[in-house]
Amino acid sequence: MNRKLLLVLALISLLLMASLTGCSQLGTSTPNTTVPQTESSIKIGGSSTLSPIIAKCADNFTEEYKTWNKVDPSLPEEPIVIFVSTGGSGFGVKSTIDGTFDLGLVARNIKDEEKSELKDGKTFQIGSDVLTIAVNPKNPVATIKPDISREELKKIFGGEITTWKQLDPALPNKNIVVAVRDLGGGASEIFDNAVMKGTPISKDAQQIPSMGALAGKIMDNEMAIGYVSSGLVNQNPDKLIALTVDGIAPTLENIKSGKYDIGRPLLIITKSTPTAKQQAFIDYLMSDKGLTVVEDLGYIPAK
Amino acid sequence: MNNNVGNTFFKIISAVIAFTCSLLLIAVLFFMLRESLPVWQMTRPLAFLSGTDWSPIYPPIQLGIGSMLASTLWVAFGALIIAIPLALACAIFLAEYAPQWLAQLLRPALTVLTGIPSVVYGFLGAAVLVKFFEIKFQVSSGESLFAASIVLAFMVLPYIVVNSESAIRAVPPEYKLSALAVGVSKPYVTMKVIVPLAKKGVLGSIALAFGRAAGETMAVLMIAGNVLRFPESWFSRGEPLSALIALEIGSAVPHSLHYQALFAVGLVLILVVTIINILINYLVNNNEMPRY
Repeated sequence: MNRKLLLVLALISLLLMASLTGCSQLGTSTPNTTVPQTESSIKIGGSSTLSPIIAKCADNFTEEYKTWNKVDPSLPEEPIVIFVSTGGSGFGVKSTIDGTFDLGLVARNIKDEEKSELKDGKTFQIGSDVLTIAVNPKNPVATIKPDISREELKKIFGGEITTWKQLDPALPNKNIVVAVRDLGGGASEIFDNAVMKGTPISKDAQQIPSMGALAGKIMDNEMAIGYVSSGLVNQNPDKLIALTVDGIAPTLENIKSGKYDIGRPLLIITKSTPTAKQQAFIDYLMSDKGLTVVEDLGYIPAK
Repeated sequence: MNNNVGNTFFKIISAVIAFTCSLLLIAVLFFMLRESLPVWQMTRPLAFLSGTDWSPIYPPIQLGIGSMLASTLWVAFGALIIAIPLALACAIFLAEYAPQWLAQLLRPALTVLTGIPSVVYGFLGAAVLVKFFEIKFQVSSGESLFAASIVLAFMVLPYIVVNSESAIRAVPPEYKLSALAVGVSKPYVTMKVIVPLAKKGVLGSIALAFGRAAGETMAVLMIAGNVLRFPESWFSRGEPLSALIALEIGSAVPHSLHYQALFAVGLVLILVVTIINILINYLVNNNEMPRY
């Protein structure tokens, strides 16, 4: 009996503790998700467009130096550990603000509300991404009408043109499947500024939760059209075809010269001044070695 | 004396645990309400529920979730329409007709259905059902609320079957024996005596299934099509409330109006499921047990 009583008492105290901590958490306004800082590792995350680039760079960086003192003699002799995860630009900003990530990856401009929370931090632009207007290679539009005007794009995405035949009489009389990122996503904002200019996106447009899935939808559906990261188009040349817009192809030269301008910055953000180690990795990313990876994966490196 | 102390302790502990669980529900509701408060101050609840324009970021800002609410109801009730006849037939077979070895084979198979992650259902639905509709009906894009309902029906099926079967089994055998003794056929006994007696449990299982169907996110996100247009029929595309939250919460700036509006959507979703559960419970309690 005594033992049972003890057990019962233990259970009660456990419950009390649980309910007390529960109450104290209710009182705070932001959930307490801060991960304890381990000095030797760097945690990075955010945009699903950027994370493959940074993961590749982190791999190369770790491979090349192995310990921090080899990067810079003033740093301690500790193994380099860099974690890269994904979750989207918004998540990247949020997690950088609450301290989950040391470096946040963001594939859009930083909004004013976010800037005020990041005012002590720094922002680095590692490159740019271009939104191409992509279609399925089996869609005859790729051969019959490979060029599309901004006005036509506006009508397609705004819901005024609903079948391919309306776009060009030689095209099949089938509904256009308009694929967009969800209205809060980074890419949709860029497209809105560059093409729609305030015209609302058609209510019939299918919202797709990530850039990868959007590209997948177009690879999968012959009647689909959507804006897709240039990187994804370059990685899947047989499955996606980029149309030219107003006669301008989304090539590297046209993007650099600013002729093709449906694009967005690829940013790395910090909440406060980066530590020596974080700065060392950022310097590596911004060096030729890092920028080569950006270019290899199909994006436009900074500088 | 000692035993008495143990009893009292046991009582207290059970009470504390039960209380904590209810407290959790209240805490969730309180948190959702607090986060979404500015939205309720800005728009009238009725306008929020019935509006069909959703533009939380770009001006003109409009917060109306009528289309999504309708999509949720279409998808969830549609799933029940498909699932209930199948599930009831299955439960009756398992409880009344199936030989023991077959029941022992079927029951675990059904429970395994509950264990399949919803993303797998969604993936199968997107790869098989959506493609099937595209080819069969020559449409540009096969996503629809109907397709989502079909997948959801299979997800909620085991819940209804398992709970209904135990409700049917819980009917005291005297009823069945006396009914059979009067000389009526077995189908008659099953449909007119046993199933009506098990109604309470069956309706309870349906309430559970509705909650599951209305709240399911991943599968509907992948199959329903996610368009903002008001769904005029079961076969249009739509974006249920849960899919709306899942799609947009990742990119919403914390404590912006968009973020708060999504919390308001979550609150509406909880309330819809709760209200429908209460309605079904009301139905259960107002249906007196048939007397024989």
